[in-house]
Amino acid sequence: MDYSRPALVDRLAAEHVLGTLRGPARRRFESLLPAHPALRAAVAAWQARLIPLSAAVTPVPPSATVWSRVEQRLFASAAAPLRWWLRLGLWQGVSAFATVAALAFGLVLSQPRPVEPPIVIVIAPNPEAAGVLQAGFAAGLTRDGRALVLQPIHEVAPGAGRAFELWAVPPQGAPRSLGLVSGQQPTTVQRALLLKDTAAFAVSLEPSGGSPTGAPTGPILSVGKLQI
Amino acid sequence: MVTPPQDWTERSRELAAVLSRVALGDRAAFATLYQRTSSHLLGVVLRIQKDRAQAEDVLQEVYVNVWRAAQGFDATLSQPLTWLTSIARNRAIDSLRRRQSEPQTVSTSAGLGDDDEHDMLQDFASPDAGPLDLLGQAADARALQACMKALSGEQQQSLALAFYQGLSHAEVADHLKQPLGTVKSWVRRALISLKGCLERAHGSAA
Repeated sequence: MDYSRPALVDRLAAEHVLGTLRGPARRRFESLLPAHPALRAAVAAWQARLIPLSAAVTPVPPSATVWSRVEQRLFASAAAPLRWWLRLGLWQGVSAFATVAALAFGLVLSQPRPVEPPIVIVIAPNPEAAGVLQAGFAAGLTRDGRALVLQPIHEVAPGAGRAFELWAVPPQGAPRSLGLVSGQQPTTVQRALLLKDTAAFAVSLEPSGGSPTGAPTGPILSVGKLQI
Repeated sequence: MVTPPQDWTERSRELAAVLSRVALGDRAAFATLYQRTSSHLLGVVLRIQKDRAQAEDVLQEVYVNVWRAAQGFDATLSQPLTWLTSIARNRAIDSLRRRQSEPQTVSTSAGLGDDDEHDMLQDFASPDAGPLDLLGQAADARALQACMKALSGEQQQSLALAFYQGLSHAEVADHLKQPLGTVKSWVRRALISLKGCLERAHGSAA
């Protein structure tokens, strides 16, 4: 089937949203969505047209077990971080050995303390948004948290009418916007308290001019956790 | 056609803010999202997947999916509840794949139903229902309602059976005792008229 014909694309998108596209045709259509923005846009337009029909459906509260099953499936492996800690322990052992070896070679630095190096964070492409845009950044922060330089790892353009927005994400509460950033060249961000209450930095895709709501509205393109 | 975020209702914006927290891995926000949307989504799923236990399995799948896919939510393409409802509908339709018999309870304005299932076509006629505000699409829904009314009776019935009950073309044809080709062309023409009518409605509103 020729998906480059707009009328056909529109009809398939309409029947997908209506639900009458079935079986192998439905699955084939869905498998094409991640790589074809025109198909996704046609589907979104038909969702906007038809989904309001479902507003009149009577709500039915689910039984309490549904939520506990969701939590069970997603978060039951809460013990997993333990394994991480164990591995960290191993690494600490290795680095302790390295320190001893360094001492043995007489490489102890007795000079005055050097200027504290900047904190470097990789804000890595988010695999969930890979179908939208692949964008990774490296951020360098001063230790006092007053300046941040964001460098795109590869040059990347947000697309017409879109912009990249940088966010500081606290452990609790809403992300704070740090403003729009470039995908072509380094952007310098100066704020008083970049590190206070910040657990991660994230870059989202927004309308040009930035998020109209004050919270990220577009897909999260890249995320980097702060580890000091 | 797609409502830009600055024109959303307050509740739709709040839901977008919650969803953006979910995208960042915030479990408390995920619980909030579930509290605010799960009853609506179960209602949607139950219209298509009528077995309560299976419908709740579908709902569970939906939220597992939402947690994993929240980062892909694009507010320039969809409103939050439209996006969530679409995921729920897709999962519900997938769950019908192995449906063997035709659905037991389907009623339409033609009076074919015989139980407490209310008249589906009345669903089009209640634009003031609460979830509309949550959808942030009250105006869109009113335009849609007017455009649905402009369709022929057969076209309305076919669309309603497909959309609300999750019936395939063949099942709609079976239900309405009409040849498959006839039903397919009703559906196709209904969708084309609906699109044209909505575009005219939006053009005149702008």
